[in-house]
Amino acid sequence: MILRHSSLEGLLSTLSTGARVYVPAKADGVTKFVLYSSSVRPDFSITNTTMPPKDLLFPQTQHMYRYGTDAEGVPYVEPVHDADDVIVFGMRPCDVRSIECMDDVFLTKGFVDVSYQAKRERLLMVAMACTAPAPTCFCNSMGLCPTAAPLADILLRPAGATDASGDTAYLVEAQSEKGQAALAQWESYKATDTSDADFEPVSAAVSCSLKVSMVGVKDKLEAMFDHPIWEQLSKKCITCGTCTFVCPTCHCFDISQENRLSEGTRFRCWDSCMFTAYTEMAGGHNPRASKSARVRQRFMHKLCFFEQRYGKTLCVGCGRCVEKCPVALDITCLIDQIGAADVAY
Amino acid sequence: MSLSTAEALTDALREEARRLLAEGTVAVVVGWEAGRFPNQTTPAFISDPEQAQRLVYGDYCVNTLAKYALGEKAAGKVAVCVRGCDSRGINRMIADNQLLRDEVYLLGLPCSGMKDPATGSLLMKCRTCTEHDAVTYDVLLGPATAAGHDGASADSSAGDSEHVSDEQRFTAVLGIEEMAPEKRRALFDAAFNKCIRCYACRKSCPCCTCRECFVDQLRAGWQGKQNNLAENRFYNITRVFHIGDRCIECGECERACPMGLPLMALNRKMVKDLKSLFNADDAGMTEENSAALGRYDLGDLEEFM
Ligand code: SF4
Ligand code: SF4
Ligand code: SF4
Ligand code: SF4
Repeated sequence: MILRHSSLEGLLSTLSTGARVYVPAKADGVTKFVLYSSSVRPDFSITNTTMPPKDLLFPQTQHMYRYGTDAEGVPYVEPVHDADDVIVFGMRPCDVRSIECMDDVFLTKGFVDVSYQAKRERLLMVAMACTAPAPTCFCNSMGLCPTAAPLADILLRPAGATDASGDTAYLVEAQSEKGQAALAQWESYKATDTSDADFEPVSAAVSCSLKVSMVGVKDKLEAMFDHPIWEQLSKKCITCGTCTFVCPTCHCFDISQENRLSEGTRFRCWDSCMFTAYTEMAGGHNPRASKSARVRQRFMHKLCFFEQRYGKTLCVGCGRCVEKCPVALDITCLIDQIGAADVAY
Repeated sequence: MSLSTAEALTDALREEARRLLAEGTVAVVVGWEAGRFPNQTTPAFISDPEQAQRLVYGDYCVNTLAKYALGEKAAGKVAVCVRGCDSRGINRMIADNQLLRDEVYLLGLPCSGMKDPATGSLLMKCRTCTEHDAVTYDVLLGPATAAGHDGASADSSAGDSEHVSDEQRFTAVLGIEEMAPEKRRALFDAAFNKCIRCYACRKSCPCCTCRECFVDQLRAGWQGKQNNLAENRFYNITRVFHIGDRCIECGECERACPMGLPLMALNRKMVKDLKSLFNADDAGMTEENSAALGRYDLGDLEEFM
């Protein structure tokens, strides 16, 4: 179906009657996926929101269960269910791929994370193909295509040039049964004066200008655990957690609790391998006490360990860390350096 | 600064770095080198004299370098490139007993304000900077900028009009002070709400040198782990109070913050109050601890005792 940009607002308000709809927008100066309402201006020209959509499935703070003793002194444990029907509208292909990585972690290999699963099952992903990758985007090099998002339930591709009225058109395709079913609600917003055949959607020709070669990177890294590159590279890192918090695939968390009198809550929060306390043991021992060990871990996990376990890199090339690292410690430069390293593999 | 000035300073810097390393005066030189993107630079750590030609200096050296001296000093004497902000950071750490003056060799550089590589406009932190050139150094690699002490008359090539005068740096604070309490609260709540507690602000700060930050004292549990308005408020307010009278106004925290929190408004509120209540000096101008709150003096008034 063809959808005109001018019908999006109507569509979004219809969709928000049955689900929580999140759209890319700027809120208090930060671009992120914002809950749609009539006062929110979605901005589909944002190539990558500063904050990825991962918090919709894996919130920075997620309450898991409450516990305590009731008036009779009987202990109880009460799970917290907070999953709603959620539609993320306008996800970029890299962000869709990041959900694939999170699915691997939270749903496969015999481990099912119920908090994640509950949200994941109620998520509908509406992707928007990219026409103008940002200078920091390098998804092509990570095996993605800026105009395809296979895991998305529905894919919108800006189609051809804007029409005579100056209105952009999107070619809309369902890519899953869930997406197909969801499209019923979209019918009344589709352009009726034209057909799919009249439009040429953006093609695979859209490509990132930033390119790196991943050839041999994983295999080389397997032999580079003790390579001097980590010590050198980590000197400038200030071990803030910025890169991991803005990353759509970083999924490490820490479980904690807060108690008040006779009741308490267990919750999990994003944690970061860049923080000293991340690997600190109860007895005080820290197997990753040095900065270089922590920097190594982050990149090894992204470019080697995840590939070993799940067959894909844990970097989708969104470029957020490249843009936000305060010291310009750039993963693409590291990939180049690994490529250039004289290491047999 | 003009291209020829930048080139001349880069040459002088490389030559001095090479000499210091070759003669064994220092173990490492901390400066900047080119990054991947146009105009981008990134901190560089040079310990081989042959690598000194990687160093660059110009309008886009956005990182303040002082704090790196702490991590590098174990290897020997550290040469650090310093402008006003970096040199005040060094003084700060010396005054805070984190560093000895002997442990660093300071390569003084003139500065007319740094620009954002993406937009080409003067960085916020540089617009409100009061001390462009190094306030302390072992060698000065170029003539002082015309700016001298008064930021408003900086090197004309740096976009004069973007710099503000010493007093104008408090304009944002004055504006906030004048707000009705509810409005002020809404302003800060909106800011604290978007904080992701990545802690880039503390990590980039030359005053944040506690071996163990209150945030990481998990057993004491000062700072709860949840990300919510209450915890974020607690973090941000504690950070600024804990820095207290030591902030050198380098603005590196605000630059590093990925969420764009108005951290300098908080810091400058402290600076402004310290000035009006204690007639405090600007921090980090000397190696002495001249802090209004952090130093005890027999002559201090004790009216409240
Ligand atoms: S954002 Fe940069 S400085 Fe901060 S931890 Fe990541 S790599 Fe290090
Ligand atoms: S590592 Fe960086 S570029 Fe890769 S997915 Fe994470 S934020 Fe994006
Ligand atoms: S750098 Fe910004 S987002 Fe990060 S903890 Fe500090 S104020 Fe919060
Ligand atoms: S609080 Fe911010 S401006 Fe003040 S010294 Fe620290 S980093 Fe610099």
